[in-house]
Amino acid sequence: MPSLFVIRGNDQGVRFELDESPVRVGRDASSAVQLHDTEVSRQHAEIRRHEHAFTIADLGSSNGTFVNGRRIERHSLQSGDQVQVGSTLMLFTGPSGETDDDLEGSVVLDRPDDASQIVHSVTQEEGSRIFDEQEDLPQHSWLARARSNLQVMYRTALAVSHTLDIDQLLARIMELIFEWVEADRGCIMLVDPEEKKLVPKVRRTREGVRTDEKITISKTILDYVTQRNEGVLTSDARQDDRFSPAASILQMGVREAICVPMQGRYDMVGVIYIDTSTSPQEMVRYGGSTKFSQDHLKLMVAIAHQAALAVEDTRYYSAMVQAERLAAMGQTIATLSHHIKNILQGIRGGSYLIELGLSEHDDEVVGKGWRIVEKNQNKISQLVLDMLTFSKEREPDLAVADLNQVVSDVIELMRSRAEEMDVELHWHPVADMPRLVFDPEGLHRAVLNVVTNAIDAASETESGQPGRVEVRIGLTPQQDHVRIAVQDNGPGIPQEQMGKLFSPFISSKKGRGTGLGLPVSQKILAEHGGRIHVDSKPGRGARFILEIPAVRPDPSVQTTEHMGEGTSSGTHS
Amino acid sequence: MNNQRRVLIVDGSEESREVLQTALSRRGLSTYAAGAADQGAALARQHQPDLVVLDLDIDDSAVDALSKPLAGDDGDPVPIVLLGGVRRNLARFPGGEFVPKPYHYGPLIRRIEELLEDRRRAVAVCHSRERSGSPVRTG
Repeated sequence: MPSLFVIRGNDQGVRFELDESPVRVGRDASSAVQLHDTEVSRQHAEIRRHEHAFTIADLGSSNGTFVNGRRIERHSLQSGDQVQVGSTLMLFTGPSGETDDDLEGSVVLDRPDDASQIVHSVTQEEGSRIFDEQEDLPQHSWLARARSNLQVMYRTALAVSHTLDIDQLLARIMELIFEWVEADRGCIMLVDPEEKKLVPKVRRTREGVRTDEKITISKTILDYVTQRNEGVLTSDARQDDRFSPAASILQMGVREAICVPMQGRYDMVGVIYIDTSTSPQEMVRYGGSTKFSQDHLKLMVAIAHQAALAVEDTRYYSAMVQAERLAAMGQTIATLSHHIKNILQGIRGGSYLIELGLSEHDDEVVGKGWRIVEKNQNKISQLVLDMLTFSKEREPDLAVADLNQVVSDVIELMRSRAEEMDVELHWHPVADMPRLVFDPEGLHRAVLNVVTNAIDAASETESGQPGRVEVRIGLTPQQDHVRIAVQDNGPGIPQEQMGKLFSPFISSKKGRGTGLGLPVSQKILAEHGGRIHVDSKPGRGARFILEIPAVRPDPSVQTTEHMGEGTSSGTHS
Repeated sequence: MNNQRRVLIVDGSEESREVLQTALSRRGLSTYAAGAADQGAALARQHQPDLVVLDLDIDDSAVDALSKPLAGDDGDPVPIVLLGGVRRNLARFPGGEFVPKPYHYGPLIRRIEELLEDRRRAVAVCHSRERSGSPVRTG
């Protein structure tokens, strides 16, 4: 689905799907892409779709519409374009071309009648050696230089391809430059996204060069590079016209520098600067040749471009991660506060009835109110326990206990709720269940959550038939696992929800659930080395099977004997 | 003859229904309660309530099921108190009074009584006009 994803601004983390045309972007509540940004006009811009192409047009907004940093009136959008309105920055993602289905049909694996044979093969390592200098090539030939340049670019591409830390990435680029060109000092400066100022990020000096010396970069050169977006090669050899060039060089030596812009896809993100000094003695020894050439400059521009792309990608990726995180956190808080609000509402209702009953001396009303308060108090402790179980790393509190008894306790606890909701609750214990080692309280919680869901589901049968929940327990035929099966005859789980069943804070119970029940059950089962199977067909109910390894107590070890009582309620500490 | 005012409560939470029913019936009102939209719509047709308390958090189908029967076929819409966490679907109930959750029961019940009183007066004026022969549409 084509979309706009807000990566910066008040709506950071929001994804707007562009499922109709035209789509209005603006501050107005009627806009499909409504932005809470005072710099955005009420009706700011409009996106229209023509088959697979999307065009954005400014609607005479006060502050303008920008695509990839350029102000536009009308612009054809490409996937990956950054759209800026006011102080909100959004990423456009276009429609995906071919769907996976098409691809699967068009690429066929394993054709037995194919007579092709392998003629050559190259290992992964050899891939990086294809540009190695070969000895039979003269050092200064055109081909040798081209090979060496390609090698540098190849290594740059490798260096920028696997890092997500910008400082580390820049250090690596600088190192690479120093290996390749005879520079004395170098630095990389990045444009600070907020202050729009160049800030030094990496500095490097060649071994043997004094490191305490400051790198001074001419403001004129820097302005030239950043404003014209061109790389420059400078030399001070001919700067003083009063002397003949040769004489000046012999006295002072030569300082050469290369300064290139780091031009990315959207913006200039910074500059790379290197310089070198050649002393008069060296000039004499090496016959006056300079160290930096036009070739170096060109290659530096290319390297800087690669580095800039990587910097942009990295920033972009962190902005995305941050945006997604904010969105997830928002979702979590929304679900939790909704749930807590409902509990609070219940407590207010209960206390109102108590107050009413007290003022009218009606014990029946007081009792009614008290039951409501108690129920909600229980709900909030369940919620807190679920949150604790889910959030902390914990070891199961193992004891020898009777799993039959643990499930029976859950059934007893849930019986009144099932009755209230007109659901029949059937429990089939087994007679010969051996005593096993597990965390009785944890298992109680895991089973409770699954049975609660089953009762809720069974209260919503589509056919109008009575709701029914069956709970069974038993050892697997190999006797090495115990299974607790909870079957309901509710509406079943839609296919598209199956994948999200165990994701925290996603509840399908329309605000009645915390979205913590199943994740908590799964966590407890996982702590025991077990798991939960789900099996459901829409319209035909669901079956959850909780399975844990059947660990028999080691007779030689004295393990705490767990009594059946005490696990009956999740509210005790 | 039944002079009691009738209040219909449509709320997914059994507790809320219980509290409201208990409190309102002690103030001499007849109450009907439904936990689901379709059930609520059926009760609305059957009992012609003088006021409806609707929890907007019940499923969205409720809006469709209830907005029509409550619009008041005789051009005299039934007052509605809308309880909700978010202000959505409000446009479907013009004239509905929104009470954000979590609310306090005391003020809510006072407001319900005020709305019922307003309506009683309006109907009384209407009836007196009818008697005095004013041009009033009859339906």
